[in-house]
Amino acid sequence: MENTSQVPVTVLTGFLGAGKTTLLNRILTEQHGRKYAVIVNEFGEQGIDNDLVVDADEEVFEMNNGCICCTVRGDLIRILSGLMKRADKLDAIIVETTGLADPAPVAQTFFVDQDVADRTKLDAIVTVADAVHLSSQLVDHHEAEEQIAFADVILLNKVELVEDNDIVKVNDRIRKINPFAKIIKTTRCDAPLDEIVGLNAFSLDRVLDIEPDFLESDHDHEHDDDVTSLSFVSDTPLDMDKFQDWFGNLLRTKGQDILRSKGILNFKGEEERYVFQGVHMLMDASPMGPWPKGKNRSSRVVFIGRDLDNMNLKEGFENCKSA
Amino acid sequence: MNADLEKLQETNKTELERRGSIFNIGAPATEAVTTRDQIAVGFGDGTVRFFQSGSDPKTVKAHKGVVLSMTNYEDHVLTGGDDGRFLKISSDGNIEEIFNFGSKWVDCVASHKDTKVCSSGKTVYIWTKNKDKPQTLEHQSTVAGLAFDNKGKRLAVSRYGGVTVWKLNNNKWTASNYTWKGSHGTVTFSPDTKYIVTAMQENQIHGWRINDKADLAMRGYPSKIKSFTWVGDTPYLVTSGSSDAVCWPFDGKEGPMGRKPIVVANGGKELATFVKALNGEKAVFTGFTDGSVLLAEIDESKKPIMIRSSTGAEVSTIAISSDNSQILIGDMKGSILLSSLWADN
Repeated sequence: MENTSQVPVTVLTGFLGAGKTTLLNRILTEQHGRKYAVIVNEFGEQGIDNDLVVDADEEVFEMNNGCICCTVRGDLIRILSGLMKRADKLDAIIVETTGLADPAPVAQTFFVDQDVADRTKLDAIVTVADAVHLSSQLVDHHEAEEQIAFADVILLNKVELVEDNDIVKVNDRIRKINPFAKIIKTTRCDAPLDEIVGLNAFSLDRVLDIEPDFLESDHDHEHDDDVTSLSFVSDTPLDMDKFQDWFGNLLRTKGQDILRSKGILNFKGEEERYVFQGVHMLMDASPMGPWPKGKNRSSRVVFIGRDLDNMNLKEGFENCKSA
Repeated sequence: MNADLEKLQETNKTELERRGSIFNIGAPATEAVTTRDQIAVGFGDGTVRFFQSGSDPKTVKAHKGVVLSMTNYEDHVLTGGDDGRFLKISSDGNIEEIFNFGSKWVDCVASHKDTKVCSSGKTVYIWTKNKDKPQTLEHQSTVAGLAFDNKGKRLAVSRYGGVTVWKLNNNKWTASNYTWKGSHGTVTFSPDTKYIVTAMQENQIHGWRINDKADLAMRGYPSKIKSFTWVGDTPYLVTSGSSDAVCWPFDGKEGPMGRKPIVVANGGKELATFVKALNGEKAVFTGFTDGSVLLAEIDESKKPIMIRSSTGAEVSTIAISSDNSQILIGDMKGSILLSSLWADN
C-alpha cells in the first residue's frame, strides 16, 4: 500500500490568530528548493518562487456510504484530482483550514475517496497553537480542542511572549488532550520546514513510534465534553477475535466521539505485530513485520476523544486478553 | 535481445497502432474535442494541441497550469484552466482571453452555437453574442458539471446535492432543482432531452426524468464513473467505472428503471476509465486503466476488438474526427495514438 508516486499532503490547522498565515508565508517565500501547492481559503497573496496557490471553498460534504460521521471535503477531492493532472510533479501539497474548521473531514477524505487515496497520501496534521491564548481558547471553543486532538505536530507559537512556567502549563494541557503529537516551541513559526512537511505521520509504521506510557493522567476535574486521551498497555497477548469484536463495535457505536485512535497489537499465535490507526469510524490496519528481538511484545493502544470515561475502554481492552 | 523485445512489441501491436502515429507529449491528456477537421487535445502542461492525420500536431501554449475543461465552439475550442483563464483558441494558435478569474480555477466550460459558458467556484458565467458582460447564475456549492440540451434552451449545472436545470425564456434564466444527496460531477442530457444523468463522487450515477423528477439510481460500480457516452438509437448510456462498459437502456417510458444494464468490452482485471460512442453505430470504444482500448458492439454475444494495446497508463480521453475517419486516444502519461479507423483510409 506504500506507493512512492503518491504526493504527500500536509493539513495545516490552527485557531484564529495563532500564526498560520505566518507559516504559510514562510512556506511560500523560503528558498526550500521544492515545489509545493498550497490550498488556501481567501488568501490574499500570490505564491512567490515556484509555488502554486489554489483557492478553495472548504465545502464539507456528507458521503452516501452509510457512515454517520463520514463527512469529506468535496472541494479537496476536486482540487487534488486537478493537481494530479499537472505535467510537473509536486513535492508536497499543503491544505490550510480556516480557524474554526474541524480537521476530521479533511483527514477522512484520504480514507474515503479512492482516487485521492491512489494519488496522494495524508502526510501529517500540523496545528499552530498560540501559547498566549491556547488555554482560554480550549475552554471556550471545542474547535481549538479538536485541532489539538487531531494533530501529529503542534507548533506552540509565540513562546517569547509567555513566562517559562506558563509554557510548562500549556504544554501539560496539550499533553492531556494529545499524548502523541510532537510539540515544537516556536517564535513566528520558525521551525525548520522539514519538521512540518514530509513527516509520513499517517504511515502505519509510524504508529510503532508511539510511547504513550507517560500519560497516566487523572480525570477528576474534567467535563464530559472535554477532549482527553486514554492509553492501555498489556504484556498478555490479545485474542484476535475478541479484539476485532470489541474494537469494531466500539468504532461503530462511539466513533463520533473517538477523534483519533492508534495502536500496536500483540495477538496470541501471531508472529507479526499488528498496527492500526483511525480517524473517527474510519480505520487503517495492517501486520507490520515481526517483533524486534529482545524487546517486550506488549500491546499499546491510545484513544483521543470526548466522553472516553463512559466507554468502558479499560474493561473492554482487558477482556481482549487471551485466556 | 533488444531486437527481440522490439519484435515482440511489434507483433503485440494492434492493427490501428501499426498504421497510426504515436506522439509522446509527456503531460497527461485531460480533454479532447473534435473541431471541423481536427482533434484538439488539452494537456496537463497547459498546452492545447491540434491533431490532424498526416502532419505533426500544432501546439498552442494556452494555460499556465492544467487544461481542466474544453469544448468546441464554432471552429474554435473553449478552454478553462487552473490559471483562472477562460480562453477561446483557434487551431492557428490565436488565443482570445474571454475572462481571467485570477486564483480561482475555471472548472467547467460549455457552449451552444454562439453562447459561451464557464464556471468558476459556485458561479456560472454566460456570454451571449454581442454582449461584453456575462450573465451570472449562482449556486449553493461549487459547480462540477455543465451541459446544454440539444436546443440550447436548458443548461444543467451539477453540484453538491443535485442538479440545477436553468431554462431560458425571453432572455431570462429560471431555475429548477433536481435533488439527490451526495456530490454530483459530470452531467449529460439524454439525446431526446427527457433525462439528465450525473456521475457522482460515490461509485454510482444518478438520473432524473425531467418532467416529473423521478429518480434513477444506477449503482453497483466498483469505482467512480469518470466518463459516459450516449450510444445508438435506443439510446444506451454507456459508462466507465467497472471492468466492462456498462450500458443502460434509455428507451420506453421508464428508461433503465427496474432493468439490468448490458455489459460489453470486458477488460479482465482492468477497470474502464473512458468510453466514447462510434458515431452512427451501436458500438462503443472503451479505454481501461492499463491504457488498452476495446471496440465493442452493444451486444453481449459479440466479441470486442482490441484497438490499442496496454501502455501502462490509464486512458483519459478518446475522440473521433467529425468525418468518422480518425480516432485519437490519450492517456495519463501523455501518450497519444492517432490512427485511421478504416483500413483503406
